[in-house]
Amino acid sequence: MTFKTTLIATAVLLACQTGHAQTAKEVAAEMRQMREELRQLRAELDGLKKQPEATATTATAATSAPNATSAPAPYASVAPQREAEAAPNAVSLFGYGELNFTRPKNNIAASEATARRGVFGIGYRFNERTRFVAELEVENAVASSGDSGEVAMEQLYVEHDIDDGLSAKMGLFLLPVGYMNESHEPTRYYGVTRNLVETAIIPSTWREMGVGFRGVRDSGLRWDAGVVTSFDLTKWPSDSTETKESPLGAIHQEGQKAKAASLAYYGALNFDGIPGFNVGGSVFHGGIGQKQPDIASPNASVTLAELHTKWQVGAWDLSALAAEGRFHDVSGFNTANSAGNPVPDQFRGWYAQAAYRLWRKGDYSLVPFARYERVNTAVNYSSVFPGQVVSTGPDNKVWTVGASYYLHPQVVLKMDVQKYQNDSALDRFNMGVGFHY
Amino acid sequence: MRSLRFLAPFLIYSTLLTACGGGAGSANTTESLSAAALLGQAIFKDPSLSASGQMSCQTCHDPSMGHASPFTTAVALGGPTLSDQGGRTPPGINYLKYNGAFKFDADGTPKGGFFWDGRANSLAEQAKGPFLNAVEMANADAAAVIHKVSQATYAEQFKRVFGADIFNDPNTAFERVAYALERYQIEDTDFAPFTSKFDAVMQGKEAFTPEELRGLVWFNRADKGNCAACHPSTKPDNAPAALFTDFSYDSLGVPRNTEIAANADTNFFDKGLCGPTRTDLSARTDLCGAFKVPSLRNVAKRNRFFHNGKFTTLTQVVNFYITRDTNPTAWYPADPNNVLVYNDLPALERGNVNVTEAPYNRTGLSPALNGQEITDLIAFLQTLSDR
Repeated sequence: MTFKTTLIATAVLLACQTGHAQTAKEVAAEMRQMREELRQLRAELDGLKKQPEATATTATAATSAPNATSAPAPYASVAPQREAEAAPNAVSLFGYGELNFTRPKNNIAASEATARRGVFGIGYRFNERTRFVAELEVENAVASSGDSGEVAMEQLYVEHDIDDGLSAKMGLFLLPVGYMNESHEPTRYYGVTRNLVETAIIPSTWREMGVGFRGVRDSGLRWDAGVVTSFDLTKWPSDSTETKESPLGAIHQEGQKAKAASLAYYGALNFDGIPGFNVGGSVFHGGIGQKQPDIASPNASVTLAELHTKWQVGAWDLSALAAEGRFHDVSGFNTANSAGNPVPDQFRGWYAQAAYRLWRKGDYSLVPFARYERVNTAVNYSSVFPGQVVSTGPDNKVWTVGASYYLHPQVVLKMDVQKYQNDSALDRFNMGVGFHY
Repeated sequence: MRSLRFLAPFLIYSTLLTACGGGAGSANTTESLSAAALLGQAIFKDPSLSASGQMSCQTCHDPSMGHASPFTTAVALGGPTLSDQGGRTPPGINYLKYNGAFKFDADGTPKGGFFWDGRANSLAEQAKGPFLNAVEMANADAAAVIHKVSQATYAEQFKRVFGADIFNDPNTAFERVAYALERYQIEDTDFAPFTSKFDAVMQGKEAFTPEELRGLVWFNRADKGNCAACHPSTKPDNAPAALFTDFSYDSLGVPRNTEIAANADTNFFDKGLCGPTRTDLSARTDLCGAFKVPSLRNVAKRNRFFHNGKFTTLTQVVNFYITRDTNPTAWYPADPNNVLVYNDLPALERGNVNVTEAPYNRTGLSPALNGQEITDLIAFLQTLSDR
């Protein structure tokens, strides 16, 4: 470790003496080269440490089996070395958990405590450029035929650095939409539950199967693009309960035997060039009819677009996000399913949030926050027949006020009060604990 | 205490926030019906839409009976001259908005669907059936129904709601008639009032008598009445209170009812899920004899019970459940050698009858409920009537 530190310090000093400002790309290349050298040195050191042991083993073997050949297999000396090279930091474990208590203000009987999510992740780095990530999620503690819990692969993909500043991933991965979808550990957002916009409009945790690319430029620009699976209109329920909560959440496929006759395309652009500041947006467009012959809209599709910005300055953490989705070519489906729950044309929402670090001592800190959200999961319907009864909304207008109390940057106690201006029956008090590692 | 000191800032802040939680309030609800539902209401009550000119939906689904049959006969009389017997007792149609399309659960259990055999997948699909049934409203086809609608007092309103040229396309117009009836059943709280004594007790506004309370116990206990196995007394996720049905199917071995003329033919059997009215499951002989489990809400108002209207009192019904297999001679005819149990099914399909669950599984034993317990149970069932 001392050697590694010295090496890095030397490299940093050398870098400082070069007399010109390095680009992020150059720094990344240099760091990669340094890590490679360090790994080679560590492998050589491990090899030296094992040499007496190996010699003793060989001697023992030779003694016990005098007629055995002493010639090693062609690659026998390489394979163990490669294992020794990859082993020290190749595997990483990570995850997060959140446990919540909710008490609706006007319906005490509906109070609920649940181990909302336990997520267990494992990563494996094959080399400096190629890695694998898997994340297993257990929702609501127990999953069985008689329980409402869920076990799901949240992520399962291989990622490869094609070049400095350009990487590709393939498999089941989270889409780069908004803030919460890719970064949803409870320590990283305010409020006991995730905000409404990024659950009702952006169906986080939103993952699809496919191929994605990410590029990072020296200027602080970050772009994403990819081709992935999409949603499945045949899952649209005849009862509106689920679709009113999240139109896309009701028809997501999550990599479970996903219909893939119609794919989706996404693109995202973010600017991180000013410390503490981010602005960005994304667009997703995909087929949802999935060419299914048994529904009246086999070519239906959906487009979702969002814009977001965040500014972390001093003790303040300010952010805002707006998202809007539109369904296309669903009139046939709506006519054929007139009995139940038509598909809306449009759904949208936005929020603005301010948090302020009120107090900090060591690892402890207290961060109160306030957020206002406006979310409508069914803004309008046009593709319905005359006289068909449709229910727009609800047009939720929600204030969430609360605090996060950090015992450690990775462990947080939370509480908040949510006030629904459009329907006070939904007002509630929430408490929770969350962590990530 | 020192170890808890680190929580102090959070607890203080929590207390402040909780204290400032805001005032109470409740959501506004409106009881008004949509334009489509209002048309559905008019159609539901309109006898001119039948061939006889005397039969509306309401004729067989009387609001005062929980929208069940008002007739004291086993089945209703319909057709062009109101002289043709229906095949089954008109079922109660309250609380059906909480039902869903017919399906098989993951374990193979049939669930949902409308009619006694679940052959319709929605209220709208169900609503179309009686208009065209030769022994009910007896219209020749959709066009005949729509011609009558176009002559009705609400025809102009029908055009205003569904389009000025809607009558030019009888098939689409017929779909709109069914849609209107569905909206009426979904939106009008008369079809799901939840106003029984049971509801009042659950809301803490009234109390059961000791007899009713004991009846609830016998209703729920798996070793006694075990009624709740198919008629759950607990609230499902999609309704505000218990529905007293799980919308499943069961083969009960209800005795053959000779009041139904079709049963004069000894080779005819109404076998529910496997036909003959329903045609898509005819190969599933394991489902023969299974009929829809109805809601027990308003059961005490009914004049006839089960799909074939075999029984006329609730006491008969409960006694049948309790003693079907402990005293079969009370329910089934006997020839000189043996009792012809489950005689409304062909011999080969009598094995489908449920004999494994309480209260049936007591062959050779005493009945699951004694006389007082049966009285208690009936007292409880009477609390399920909407008021």
